[in-house]
Amino acid sequence: MTLHIVSKSPYGCNALTECLATFAEGDVLLLIEDGVYALTDHKWEAAPAGSVYCLRADAEARGIAIPEKVEGIDDTRWVELCTRHNPIVSWYK
Amino acid sequence: MKFALAVHSAPHTSQSAASALRFARALLAQGHELYRVFFYCDGVHNGSVLAAPPQDEADLVGEWQALQQAHGLDLVVCIAAAQRRGVLSESEAGRLEKSAANLAPGFELAGLGQLADAIANADRLVTFGG
Amino acid sequence: MEGKSTLALCRQPPYGNALAREGLEAVLAAAAMDLVPDLLFLSDGVFQLLDNQSPAEIHQKSLQRNLQALPMFGIEQIFVCGRSLIERGISADQITIPGVEVRQVQDTGKLIAAYDTVLSF
Repeated sequence: MTLHIVSKSPYGCNALTECLATFAEGDVLLLIEDGVYALTDHKWEAAPAGSVYCLRADAEARGIAIPEKVEGIDDTRWVELCTRHNPIVSWYK
Repeated sequence: MKFALAVHSAPHTSQSAASALRFARALLAQGHELYRVFFYCDGVHNGSVLAAPPQDEADLVGEWQALQQAHGLDLVVCIAAAQRRGVLSESEAGRLEKSAANLAPGFELAGLGQLADAIANADRLVTFGG
Repeated sequence: MEGKSTLALCRQPPYGNALAREGLEAVLAAAAMDLVPDLLFLSDGVFQLLDNQSPAEIHQKSLQRNLQALPMFGIEQIFVCGRSLIERGISADQITIPGVEVRQVQDTGKLIAAYDTVLSF
């Protein structure tokens, strides 16, 4: 059960699209840094319900609202997600 | 749990080196072990003591050093990537006949074998790049 | 260092940025330490595999030398995303490496999930 971490905006980079195309059953998605701009679009809804997280601080820093179906998490929970999932794949370009 | 981090990005260019630092702090605060931070690609610039950001901005190099001091971290800068980008220890600067050295105290230069070793020994590897 | 399955995910094209080269260098170094990673070429990373590259005029070393070294380090097969090839109009006969079996993968997610560690380049 892979944890995918996407850190780029889907408007300028295909990281999220590529990531979602490699989603396997039980995988989860974490949006960080500019990846949180994905929350203004609907692409992330391709991931199964309950499997999408974002770093609340990164969303708040950018003035991006977190939809109800996405769980905004703090750094502690980020670490905890990493302990529960393996491998961890970073999509940063 | 034992973590290793791979940092592929320079400080003060993108957010990701700062994210790595945040993640490192959070995992240490929860009692996890940070086996090694391996700085690769542009990430080697995190180990340059010559970075001098304005006082009202975060000093990432200094923050890595402080974390290293507090927790005895193994901060490894890839020697091949560092040579290309001009991050040199005293001994490397001497060997390569360069006029200055800039590897920050608390960091060490080592080969890519240290990345393989981190993969082999850590329970989780998290990469920060971009 | 055996027992830890590792995948290097190669997503960048060659030459335009250093990540493709430094990714392959990390793969070869790990393999030299007996931690032999598998490789998956995905999205623009498949451009690394084109067999007619000649970067001398842009003053870069050919990345193909690194790829051709893979068998010497015990890497005799690589995985390539089939969808990425189709999107870019690349056929199987354009991405041959001597001594390396190129295996096209359709379900990349299932492949990735099977590893202990994934390196992203």
